[in-house]
Amino acid sequence: MPVWFVRGLRRGVVTTRYPARPDSSAASLPTPPAFRPRELTCELVDRMIAVCPGPALRRSDKTLVFDAGACTACGWCARVAPGAVASSGEFELAATDRSALVKTIPILGEQQ
Amino acid sequence: MKPTPDAAVTAEKLREQIAAQFGRSLHIRTLDTGSCAVCEQEIRLLAAPHYDLHRLGFFFTPAPRHADLLLVTGPMVRAFELAARKAYEAMPGPKVVVATGACALGGVYRADPFVHGEVEAVLPVDVWIPGCPPSPLALLHGLGVAVGRLAEKTPGLTFIAADEIPGDGA
Repeated sequence: MPVWFVRGLRRGVVTTRYPARPDSSAASLPTPPAFRPRELTCELVDRMIAVCPGPALRRSDKTLVFDAGACTACGWCARVAPGAVASSGEFELAATDRSALVKTIPILGEQQ
Repeated sequence: MKPTPDAAVTAEKLREQIAAQFGRSLHIRTLDTGSCAVCEQEIRLLAAPHYDLHRLGFFFTPAPRHADLLLVTGPMVRAFELAARKAYEAMPGPKVVVATGACALGGVYRADPFVHGEVEAVLPVDVWIPGCPPSPLALLHGLGVAVGRLAEKTPGLTFIAADEIPGDGA
């Protein structure tokens, strides 16, 4: 008798919940950026927008508009501004409202 | 288009119906509208033993006539528009459309003579799953959100690094 069958009989549970246990691969997934508002300056944000391969980043005066839906988690913005951008670690981003994926981030850094 | 109060009530009713009917049994038809096939690779992994989609009662079906959920990938090339509309119309109601991957969400291709740029331009999308490609875990979460089994996390996210609180002095 297969081991999993015996285990299922003993536990009385044949199916598992989602996720059954933390997935070990989740830690190594590329994830969208998380920004540090105090490190961001308008000039830095403009440089990040210039390297972003998609329309994920946009600046509106002193706010950075980040569209997580359009982000491909390529990491180019983090390469331009390593101090101001980190990996968010969030990948379960499914949304029932498209506008919920668009986030505004204040730019609080001092202008050079 | 802003939903009218009547439409909002209908949408809520439909959402409850979908949760009740599809919660434990959902048939999925994937629709590739010009994707690079990496999304399809991730979708295929859902049926593999590691993720084992079938334990949740979700199944892939080869025909839209048997499908409850349309999993759409790619930027919706204009040549595929008619086929996409036909696939959607062939599905029995209630039906759910899930836009999968950054292309489908308008993140990679801009609207041009060859592509619409996003799935929403042609089909009414109910759930958006970002990612390039979305990992199988993200897809599972998205399907759970689509049938009302899992809560969405996005409204609570700020994409501001955890060590910085917004608007705190500075």
